[in-house]
Amino acid sequence: MVSAVNTLIARRWMSRLLSLAGLLLSLSANAGNVDLATVPERRTVQLTIYNAEDLTLVRETRELNFKPGVNPLRFSWANTLIDPTSVELRFPDAAGGLELLDTTFPHDKPQSLYWNVRSDTERTARIEISYFTSGIRWEADYLAIADPDERQLRLDSFVRVRNDSGEDYEDAQVRLVVGTLNLVEKIAVLARLPVGRIDELKRDEYQNLRQKAARPLMAAPATPAAEAVGMAADAAVLEAPKAIAKAGLSEYFIYSIEGTETVPNGWAKRLRSFVAEAVPMTVEYRYRPREYGEALTRLYLLRNDRDSHLGGTPLPDGRVRVFRADAEGGLHYLATQNLAYVPIGDRIELNLGADPAVLFKEVKERVYRDQFWLQIKGGTLYRKLGEEGLKLDVDSQVAGWDEHTVYRQEIRNYSTQPIRVQIRRAYDGDVLFRSRLNPTLHDFQTVQVERVVAAGEKAALEYEVVARMGYSQKQSRVEVQAGDPGR
Amino acid sequence: MLPTRLLLYPLGVLLLLGGALPDALARIKLTTLPVRERVALQLDHAQVALVEEERLVPLVQGRNQVDFSWANTRIDPDSLVLRILDTPDGAEPRAQVLSVSYPPHENALVWTVAARTAGTARMRISYILGGLNKSFHYRALADHAERTLVLSQYLQISNSAQEAFASAAIQAEVGPRLERPLGLNETKELRLNQFAAVPVRKTYTSDPLRFGYLDRDQDKLNVPMHYVIRNAGAPLGREALPEGKARIFQDDGQGGSAFLGEDRGTFTAPDDELKLYLGLARDIVVRRSVERSERQRIAGNLYRYDVTLKYEIQNFKDSPATLDLVESVRHIRDSLYGAVERDPEWQLGAGSLRDPDPQHSDADQLLFHITLPPRTAAGTAVKQIHTLRLSLNNEW
Repeated sequence: MVSAVNTLIARRWMSRLLSLAGLLLSLSANAGNVDLATVPERRTVQLTIYNAEDLTLVRETRELNFKPGVNPLRFSWANTLIDPTSVELRFPDAAGGLELLDTTFPHDKPQSLYWNVRSDTERTARIEISYFTSGIRWEADYLAIADPDERQLRLDSFVRVRNDSGEDYEDAQVRLVVGTLNLVEKIAVLARLPVGRIDELKRDEYQNLRQKAARPLMAAPATPAAEAVGMAADAAVLEAPKAIAKAGLSEYFIYSIEGTETVPNGWAKRLRSFVAEAVPMTVEYRYRPREYGEALTRLYLLRNDRDSHLGGTPLPDGRVRVFRADAEGGLHYLATQNLAYVPIGDRIELNLGADPAVLFKEVKERVYRDQFWLQIKGGTLYRKLGEEGLKLDVDSQVAGWDEHTVYRQEIRNYSTQPIRVQIRRAYDGDVLFRSRLNPTLHDFQTVQVERVVAAGEKAALEYEVVARMGYSQKQSRVEVQAGDPGR
Repeated sequence: MLPTRLLLYPLGVLLLLGGALPDALARIKLTTLPVRERVALQLDHAQVALVEEERLVPLVQGRNQVDFSWANTRIDPDSLVLRILDTPDGAEPRAQVLSVSYPPHENALVWTVAARTAGTARMRISYILGGLNKSFHYRALADHAERTLVLSQYLQISNSAQEAFASAAIQAEVGPRLERPLGLNETKELRLNQFAAVPVRKTYTSDPLRFGYLDRDQDKLNVPMHYVIRNAGAPLGREALPEGKARIFQDDGQGGSAFLGEDRGTFTAPDDELKLYLGLARDIVVRRSVERSERQRIAGNLYRYDVTLKYEIQNFKDSPATLDLVESVRHIRDSLYGAVERDPEWQLGAGSLRDPDPQHSDADQLLFHITLPPRTAAGTAVKQIHTLRLSLNNEW
């Protein structure tokens, strides 16, 4: 284990030496083989990470001493994932006194460039270098722990920043962009293409447009960095986890992590975005085969709003792990699922899968047919069976009829709580749904029935489905009718 | 102040070392090694095992680094939850987690924990651990008369998680919580329950669709035997019986027991029946034949089919028995008139079999219970003849 740690240290130093995204103030202009340079350190660095596109804007400032006349600068980024075409140099303080004359990408020194900067006087000035890199990602994840009685839960939201960019970013101000759609739209606008045809762009072209689209957003003024929180000096004060400020911007949310963070290359760091205690929730059982498959599915339902102690921010896509606490404080694992982006005010559904304590079974009790129509001699004449004057013509075919199927939906609740069950069944064709269950139509072909099943109750819901078949099918829709199932 | 680093190893190997952190490279540090105070294995989820362990962790005032590493074990790192248990009076927490760092290429993470004051914090760490597998087993011992049995339920845990647990509170989805050690690569069988005097029904079944014929040319059906246990009424019925292999024994009446066979019991909810297959009965003979098959035209190509099935049943045993006679109406129609997709519409006619068991019958399946007397004192088995008359309406 000791050697493993030493290896880790060695690896980190190697990585540091190999992956320096460095700036050299070259003391000989566009030097030959013999070169002398000074290395001004980064003063500040800001990362704006756009997770949907594997795109991060890095803005760093350094302080340099300029002599009057032309000052050559070399910027290099060996073994990193920086996009060379995206590197920009600005002089935020020197109003007109500094001028970038040219930028040269030398053929013999890959992953580096030279800038010639003219200064009107001897001065120390702050420069800002910005560029795009890939390999830095962030993702959200959540931890939901329900109370033993499943009336409230605690929702912890985290963000995890992972750095595989090849470069260590130390004491960086980190901003995370939540949102996916707008960038693509902007690329489409810039490319003068419909959004659906963005795939047709060549890779280079796409990268270029993507940067153009992203830069205005990412260059939004930084939230003032709070003082880095050090160790709690005061004996009575407990250091709080860093706050993550959330601000809406156009179609985006930007999460700014308080203070600065160091995420070395290869490492990931997870910080709490927010925690919501005592979030009210309900439990619902749903049978919706199209959404959840054939099982009766148990869900925790909550809402991303203020009443639920949430709603401060949309919830970015991320994985949720759901547990239930027991009376002794132990945890019981329930499920892991991917949560799709939840806007402020929207519902959050946590799918816990089937519950072995609730049995759900549909039994086909009886089938019968009536209302027969016969097609006479294969022609256009149809006669109803039982009509007066209809002969038992040998040369006639069944063309239309009503197919009656009587079902019994059994729900047995062996849990200790009453449960709310919602059932949706979709039917093709021209169908009448007859029952005493107060069904409603979810859509033109889907019937919805709701029922509370008490603890220990064995509910049997009876209903009849009448499907008008063949020639008798006049519509494609379901009608609901109050009535007793069966003849 | 140098931060104190704490290492929590699920593995038994504990080392003292200095370590590397993002912001604290190659500094020599002191490490303490808090041991497990308590371990719980939650096996109540169908697929995964959740381990919960509690450790008393000494913290200094300010920031602490708590390392957790799991070399050679299959911990799901995303499932790790660290909770610092509150002081009993529910006061403000003494410590809290600030962030988690994940070093590259290592099964480890580092929690940065802030503490208000120096002291010991009780931490509960939960994680999903791969390699802890469980299954259920049953042992059924029937009495000599096959009226009741003793049903023992076992939980078997095999530990290939590369982690030993000196003592763990083990909780499966059924049964009580048991405190047991679980060693490396051990398989442990724990008796969860023993249900005494469980009423058992021995059934003989004929079902041509499911169990087929013993001799097709002689119309002789297979007659499988089962022990049927209803998961209801004392002592059963409180919890489901999870699926698992059952070994079945019978008291031989001489102080020993005879092995009758084994079967895989399916998940049995309360109020449902667990059926354990015992083999084929050779002393109950059921012959099934089609006595009548006619069609009547209703109109055009629309027909009614009239079918009569005849059963000749003999019990050669010296004890009475009940035969469960099962038929699928769709199977009857399809085998006589060709398979069609639509459901059969049928009515029972005036045969001797007219009262199907409503609990086990539906739009397609019919189940009749037929009582069979034992063979006579002279040794002859009375032949019972039964008929099932069906009208299959509105077929074409």
